[in-house]
Amino acid sequence: MSDLKPALEALIFISVEPLTMDKIREVLPERSEEEISAALEELASEFESGPRAIRLTQTGGGWVFSTKPDYDAPVRKLLQIERRKKLSPAALETLSVVAYHQPATAPEVMSIRGVDSTTALHTLLENKLVKISGRRDAPGRPLLYRTTEKFLAYFGLNSLDDLPQEEELRKILEAGNA
Amino acid sequence: MTEVRDPSQEEDQPVPPPEPAEPAGAAAAAEPAEGYQVKLEFFEGPLDLLLFLIKKKKVDIHDIPVAVITGEYLGYLRTRDRINLDREAEFLLMAALLIYIKSQFLLPREQPLEPDVDPRRELAERLEDYRRVKIVSARLRDLEEEQSQVWRRAALTAPLPEEDLDLVEVSLFDLAESFFAMMKRKQAEPPKVLKGKEISLAEKMDEIVAALKARGVLDFLDYLDAQETLEEALVAFFCLLELIKARLVIAVQEQLFHAIKVWLRKETKDEAP
Repeated sequence: MSDLKPALEALIFISVEPLTMDKIREVLPERSEEEISAALEELASEFESGPRAIRLTQTGGGWVFSTKPDYDAPVRKLLQIERRKKLSPAALETLSVVAYHQPATAPEVMSIRGVDSTTALHTLLENKLVKISGRRDAPGRPLLYRTTEKFLAYFGLNSLDDLPQEEELRKILEAGNA
Repeated sequence: MTEVRDPSQEEDQPVPPPEPAEPAGAAAAAEPAEGYQVKLEFFEGPLDLLLFLIKKKKVDIHDIPVAVITGEYLGYLRTRDRINLDREAEFLLMAALLIYIKSQFLLPREQPLEPDVDPRRELAERLEDYRRVKIVSARLRDLEEEQSQVWRRAALTAPLPEEDLDLVEVSLFDLAESFFAMMKRKQAEPPKVLKGKEISLAEKMDEIVAALKARGVLDFLDYLDAQETLEEALVAFFCLLELIKARLVIAVQEQLFHAIKVWLRKETKDEAP
């Protein structure tokens, strides 16, 4: 059937949260996952290359429409938002450590960064970019931190695998050492 | 330390802006050959400063000229006439480590170092790990910048009320935050005469469990608000924390900034007589 793409477009349009494959399959049980994936990819590339201000991306485990960066200014004006707050370098470093070493304790973050990271962790907790996922079974039972779904959404990542992997990191390191 | 610096190693490369507000005297004397000095506050920590120096000297992270780098590093610390221990203890710790490594090379030994033991190795590994962190945070910074220009509908419309709400178990911080917000509100209320009633933790806990069994669900703040005195509210708050810790009740928030609700856990309900 050729009406799969427009159907998907309608479903994503009406969804406020990123639309997951599970949800799509629920609504369209007669379609295979491969079929849906292929249609979504096609739809996304149509939006991306077409004369549209909207793009279709995979973020936080689902599909979602967003505006293209070129239309930031008018949208901001409409919403009456001056500037978005940015994370501090300390918060970004702490997030990087937690993302790669999760679940991580505060002392672990501190030993990698070389500086006390308690304040940064608190900022991240407040912004719900990390969460406490339990305690480590070690002396002092230190709290364990993990990144959240909001962390993925905030950076437009679909999953943690979208972060640079070991091989890519090594390449960048070697290039820097040359 | 300045005597170890080889002038031929000074190089022109893009660096953070010069520091015109350099304090005169000892600070300037520590770095006479440099036309600039980046402030210590510019760095995220001792590892960041070390990486900067290593890059500036264009040396290999695994083959650091310890004397040169230690000299440069100490030059930075000397720019401070006094060290704020809260903020700069980590910088001092690293200075001690660098001097220790340097001493490993300088001091005579009874047995020579084994060829494959390099006193710098652990530091090199830490620097390497920290460089990864820097790479990833630079990537996150780019993504953040990109995302800050991208807008989704979710930002405009509140999620539609659904029957099956996605409940999030709240953390201790959320509870404490709500509690303190309420206490602040209470403070504004006119003072009441204290009745001098004694409330025991155990009694209050029974009272809460009984109320939960009768009503099924409690609004966390309303319940505390309904307490007659500050003391009673405090006791009730501790009881709730105690019950949550004992996993007898569960505290959930339907949406961010919405009311926190408290339930008995299912198991507790079942075993209730």
